Amino acid sequence: MNVRSLSAVRQRSARLHSMSRRQFVRTTGATIAGGVALGSGVLGPIRAQAAAFDDPLPIPGGSPSLGGAFHVYGPSPTGFLDPINAEPSSITNFNGVVGLAYIDGWVTQTSVSSGEWHRYPFVASDMRFMQGVYRGVDGKPRQGTFGFI
Amino acid sequence: MNPGIAPSGLFWTTRLGANNVGGVNPGAGRAVYQAVDVPIMDFHNIPNALFGGGDPPVPGFVSFEVRWSGTDDRVNLKNPAIGFAGEYVRGQAQMQWTARVGDLHYVSDPIETSSSEFAQLGHERNGSFYP
Repeated sequence: MNVRSLSAVRQRSARLHSMSRRQFVRTTGATIAGGVALGSGVLGPIRAQAAAFDDPLPIPGGSPSLGGAFHVYGPSPTGFLDPINAEPSSITNFNGVVGLAYIDGWVTQTSVSSGEWHRYPFVASDMRFMQGVYRGVDGKPRQGTFGFI
Repeated sequence: MNPGIAPSGLFWTTRLGANNVGGVNPGAGRAVYQAVDVPIMDFHNIPNALFGGGDPPVPGFVSFEVRWSGTDDRVNLKNPAIGFAGEYVRGQAQMQWTARVGDLHYVSDPIETSSSEFAQLGHERNGSFYP
C-alpha cells in the first residue's frame, strides 16, 4: 500500500465516520447486503475465502487516522498516518521478526497489446513481512511467514 | 495493488513461504524479502481498496525484492495499551518489483535507484506473546 495515499484518506475517513450509515452508503457507492453490520472491513473489498484453521489473526486495533476500522498502523517519522512507535505487525499472537519499509522509486507501465508505455513514481510503497511463531484461528503455535503488500 | 482484506479483517496480508525471507539479521538491520508471482488485486486507488464502491478490482501478480540495510537507530518499544513489544533497528530499504495486471506490465527501475522514507527491522511480540 502507499502510506501517503492512506494519509490522504484520513480526512475522508473522518467524514465517513461522522456520517450516518445511509450517508456512508450513498457517498461511497458501496453495496451492503441486508442485515450486515457496519464494522471492521465490512464495507471494504473483502477476499472471498473461508478462514483456514492456521490462518493468522489481525491485530485487534487499527490506526485512529483511518477511524480504527482497519487492522493496521502506519508508523512513520513524520506521523502522517501514525506515530513512529506504532505497531508495525499486521498479525497478532505473533513472536518473530517484522520488517517494514516505505520505498520510493520509478516504474514503467507498458501495455502488452499496444506497446504504449508510461513512467510513474511509486511513493512510500509499504512493504512488510512477518516471520516467526504465531497462533492463528485454532490457537495453536506454529511457524509462519507472511507478507504485507 | 494488494492482497485485499480477509473476512477476519486481516489487512493486505498474505501467506508466504519461509524461503521468501532470508539473510535476516535484525541486529545488523539486514534482511531480504522477495517473492515471485504473488496474487494481488489492483484496486486502482487507495479509497477503492479500503472502501470499495469504485471500479471492480483487477487480478494480477506481483514479484518483488526488498532489502533492508543500515543501523541508523535502535529502539526498544513496549506498548501495553496496544499490546506489543519489540526491539527494532531503523535504517534503509530498497526495492525492485514487477507486476502483471491484465494488459499492463509494470517493471520498476533497478533496486539501487530506489530509496526509503522509513525502514525498520526487528523482533516483536504481541497478542498472546506479549510479555
